[in-house]
Amino acid sequence: MARFRPFRHTLRTACVALFTVSLVAAGCGGAKENSKGTTGADKSNEAEVVTDKKPVYGGDLVYGMEADPGGGTSGFCLPEAQLAISGMLFSRTFYDTLTIPNDEGGYSPWLAESVTPNATYDSWDIKLRDGITFHDGSKLDAQVVKNNLDAYRGTYPGRKPVLFLLVFSNIKDVTVKDPMTVTVTTKTPWVAFPAYLWSSARVGILAQKQLDSTNCAQEIIGTGPFVYKEYVQGDHVSGTRNDHYWVKNDNGDQLPYLDSLTLKVVTEGQQRVSGLESGDLDIMHASGGEEITRMRAFKADGKKQLIESDKFGEVAYAMLNTKTEPFNNENARLAVAYGIDRQDIINKSENGVPKLANGPFGKGNMGYLEDPGFPKYDTNKSKEYLAKYKAETGKDLEVNIGHTPDSGTTKLAQLIQEQAAALGIKANLQPIEQGALINTALGGKFQALLWRNHPGGDPDGQYVWWHSGMLTNFSGINDPQIDKDLDEGRITPDPAKREELYQDLNRQFAKKAYNLWTWYTLWSIGFDNKVHGILGPKLPDGKAPSSGLATAHFLGALWKEK
Amino acid sequence: MRKLVTRLGRLVLVVIVVTFLTQLLTEFVPGSLDQILAPFSTPAQTKAIRADLHLDDNVVVRYGRWLGDFVQGDLGKRYTGAQSSIPVGPEVRRALPVSLEIMVWAQLVALVIAIPLGVVAAYRQGRWLDRIISSSAFAFLALPSFCLALILSYYLGAQLKLFPSVVTRIPGWSEGIWTHLKVLVIPVISLALGQAAVYLRLLRSDLLSTLQQDFIAVAKAKGLTPRRILWRHALRPSSLTLLTVVGLQTGALIGGAIVVEVIFGIPGMGTLIQYAITKRQYIELQSEVAIVAIVFVVVNFAADYLYSVLDPRIRT
Amino acid sequence: MTAPSSDSQPAAATPVPEAPHAAGTKKRLGIGAWLCMGWLGLMIVIAVIGPWLGLDTSSNFELKGQPPFWNGHILGGDGLGRDLFNQIILATRASIFVSFSAIIIGTVVGGFLGLISGYFRNRFAGALGSVFDILLAYPPIVLALTLVSVFASDPSGSGFQREMVVIISLAIVSVPILARITRANTLVWADREFVHAAEAMGASKWRILFREILPNVVPAMLAFSMLGIAVAIVAEAALSVLAVGLKADTPSWGNIISTGRDDLASSPNIVFSAVAVLFLTVLSLNYLGDVIRAHFDVKEAAL
Repeated sequence: MARFRPFRHTLRTACVALFTVSLVAAGCGGAKENSKGTTGADKSNEAEVVTDKKPVYGGDLVYGMEADPGGGTSGFCLPEAQLAISGMLFSRTFYDTLTIPNDEGGYSPWLAESVTPNATYDSWDIKLRDGITFHDGSKLDAQVVKNNLDAYRGTYPGRKPVLFLLVFSNIKDVTVKDPMTVTVTTKTPWVAFPAYLWSSARVGILAQKQLDSTNCAQEIIGTGPFVYKEYVQGDHVSGTRNDHYWVKNDNGDQLPYLDSLTLKVVTEGQQRVSGLESGDLDIMHASGGEEITRMRAFKADGKKQLIESDKFGEVAYAMLNTKTEPFNNENARLAVAYGIDRQDIINKSENGVPKLANGPFGKGNMGYLEDPGFPKYDTNKSKEYLAKYKAETGKDLEVNIGHTPDSGTTKLAQLIQEQAAALGIKANLQPIEQGALINTALGGKFQALLWRNHPGGDPDGQYVWWHSGMLTNFSGINDPQIDKDLDEGRITPDPAKREELYQDLNRQFAKKAYNLWTWYTLWSIGFDNKVHGILGPKLPDGKAPSSGLATAHFLGALWKEK
Repeated sequence: MRKLVTRLGRLVLVVIVVTFLTQLLTEFVPGSLDQILAPFSTPAQTKAIRADLHLDDNVVVRYGRWLGDFVQGDLGKRYTGAQSSIPVGPEVRRALPVSLEIMVWAQLVALVIAIPLGVVAAYRQGRWLDRIISSSAFAFLALPSFCLALILSYYLGAQLKLFPSVVTRIPGWSEGIWTHLKVLVIPVISLALGQAAVYLRLLRSDLLSTLQQDFIAVAKAKGLTPRRILWRHALRPSSLTLLTVVGLQTGALIGGAIVVEVIFGIPGMGTLIQYAITKRQYIELQSEVAIVAIVFVVVNFAADYLYSVLDPRIRT
Repeated sequence: MTAPSSDSQPAAATPVPEAPHAAGTKKRLGIGAWLCMGWLGLMIVIAVIGPWLGLDTSSNFELKGQPPFWNGHILGGDGLGRDLFNQIILATRASIFVSFSAIIIGTVVGGFLGLISGYFRNRFAGALGSVFDILLAYPPIVLALTLVSVFASDPSGSGFQREMVVIISLAIVSVPILARITRANTLVWADREFVHAAEAMGASKWRILFREILPNVVPAMLAFSMLGIAVAIVAEAALSVLAVGLKADTPSWGNIISTGRDDLASSPNIVFSAVAVLFLTVLSLNYLGDVIRAHFDVKEAAL
């Protein structure tokens, strides 16, 4: 896309940022614990919350999360920050976004009362809800929202966004229409715009004071359910009750219930589970198959509660570099796609917990197909394609598998290596430090990389990863059909038509085996029997809140029995 | 006094050589340091980083600048991106006390175990008690501290749940003495047992040779009980040898502590150094290695100095 | 004095000598020494023939993390579902190869430097002695970590290349330690009457060094090489735990310990089996080192 060319360097920086936030090496489930007999996705992955008790006010809750939300990046000045899952929890503690995902796969207005496009989808009116105040008492109005959006897209003085410069580069202008309405005009029609106002909870609205602060990363002022109290790097972030929070529960109760919420960093997955077991943590999140296996056992014993969801989760896969040998050859890609028993790998590395992925979009997501035609495990077919590869190139297939050196991902790479060896494909492990991973991906210095990306939601969000004009198209996919689907999907308003476009894209991915899809990340929240209110009340437009957990969940309705 | 000055001079020299060596090693890293630290910087940013790190100067000049900063307490920066960096100083200030505390505890626990057992072994030389003590000590020498750490964390942590097996943070003293110490128990014991074995064996053989000396014979002739002779007369000279070895063992302890810290996720110097190495933060690494070397050298210096003060035979 | 500057102290990381029953084993090898030699011999044989036994290394989900004796698997399964016993057999090759190679190089280089710095009383020799002392102030594990991370920056290098990097790094770390020990012993022997006699007879310095002094210094070098190999085995494992050791698909005791850490709570047999083999090997090397010292009467004071 030509419009990105002028700031190529900034774009490169933005790639890094995007990369850091959305890519977590596949299989980083952390420590493992085996529990036989729970193999296979026989459990329901749908979230289920049972609350027949009457909520009570008060109490403190400790939430175990997998990483430091600041993570050594640009701190908590949201337009500049690079937030991963723990950062999303942080954002949802202290801030609100203009839109929020609902359980129908769409986006409902949240701080906004409505988000309405014009007929051509290149101008959007964001009308704000009345009577909302920031933690410092200032009022939420059109001016502060405009300033926020400008900060995110890089036109607000003093703020230097990295990630959102790329994400919002399609915005032409942001203007104040009336005291409570902001108008955003875009360069091309942008049907998925409300999804971008959410951007995985990353586009929180900051108070004017924080926006202008030289200490923006630490002066945390939002409208969220909790008021910032303290942050100890590597240990915890805590907040106290926002007495003037604007959201009420379904029963009319003023939210939040809790006096305070502490987000506690516990990086080892199994340690987090142990913390939940011992009661040091009231609630925690995890995505590793073996942690989930352990928590399922707690749930079965009635010791703890657990909800799971792979809705809008990322997909774990082996990314193949189609620009260089050997995977610029379609036969090589198909040989691997047919020859690797992905379900076996899921069993061995994740205890069989997450679901096999045949495409980039998870079930319930736009573009999802039960069977997009991705090659099914068939060693004979694989050998056929290997023979074709050899006939064409005169070489035996040999591949380097890039992986982060953490033990979970290393195990995954070793499992692939073993299966490849059985086919006569020599696979070399190529451990790449997290820090060098970006360079490797952007520079195309890899053959296959173990990867986790493409969180669900509007498929237009994947534009930057797959369009041939994009620098962040790490696989080097240059497929006119995929480009066409992406370009049309971006400007087509009709959901049915878009569904078709993205299904087409899904099939094309499967046919060409650009990536070796493996599994959909299953996110889970384990919590004490005394903790309730995980997903929160109905959204203001009457829809149910999203039951997906990949971008955390609403924290304002949590309560704890005395 | 003169001797003291010479020794201090030597101390400084050692630190300089060690850190210069680190700097020299980073010269062998393929690729340009600015690209390693901030791979996606714009030309302007690259230029700024190169200027910041004086990458266009030669090794010696660059080392001189680093040393100048280091002496003034500026330990350099950790680059987290093309436009962001955090100073290393505060990181080290947070981590160093943690590591020091672990090492002090480990040394104390090692001595508390080694001294009585060493004396008993010497007292009971050749008897079964001595054999058990000496053989166990010999066995513990062959068990690396990180292996012991894993064994203890399985039995005391995972099985008995007496102590946490992962430490993300050392709770402050204000949160309760036991809360504070509890997280340190397994790491400290893992480090201490190997040290204790070294001290015990040393003390035992030293005591045995002391017991053959004249003044012990005199003490015996005066009718003192063997126990009294051991504790009051023999242990004192041996304690000096022990002191020096405690200093020397600091090197081994630092090595063990790095791995043990990483295993438990203790936020100390070991974890920092490991981080710097895996994230290729060579400037940070250089400062951290310097700190570790200084600790090592100073401890030895102190042990050596105390030795010369305490032992009348050496005093000049 | 800076740490290792005094010649009257044992080297920092080496255990204090004297085997439990050193006095009794003098001039006669006890059962302990034979047991240790037997174990080491076994390890070396396994290291050599292990890779050629055609052991089953396939992973099997059923076997993943299973306890010892599960379905005929003596040590159970590892974290990937492979037979743990087979993995430990295969791992012996890398662990033994890396540690022996590193210390052989370290002993040859360090021994040579130690000999010349201990015998020739010139400026160069003196400077060399100081260099060893100063290098010893570099915490060995940090030096090894830095060396490996500097030399192994190419992630696509083969497993063998990485083995070479680890060997050379550990060899470099061992050189000053072994050199210093050789130097101290050389200093002792260089002052003996027969050396002075040979000098008076006009024998060349090099001839004296290699004909008169070296044979006497060899037992000490050998004893400390044994300890050195033990330390190198531990170092290989430590580097793996720190994630900068041998490549993950090169089986080694360190890699088994390192990856087994994840499964410690549920399958302690993985870590414990590798630790046990490592422990017995290090114990044997330590014991034999002590026996050699006792046998040849290597004086502690000379170190």
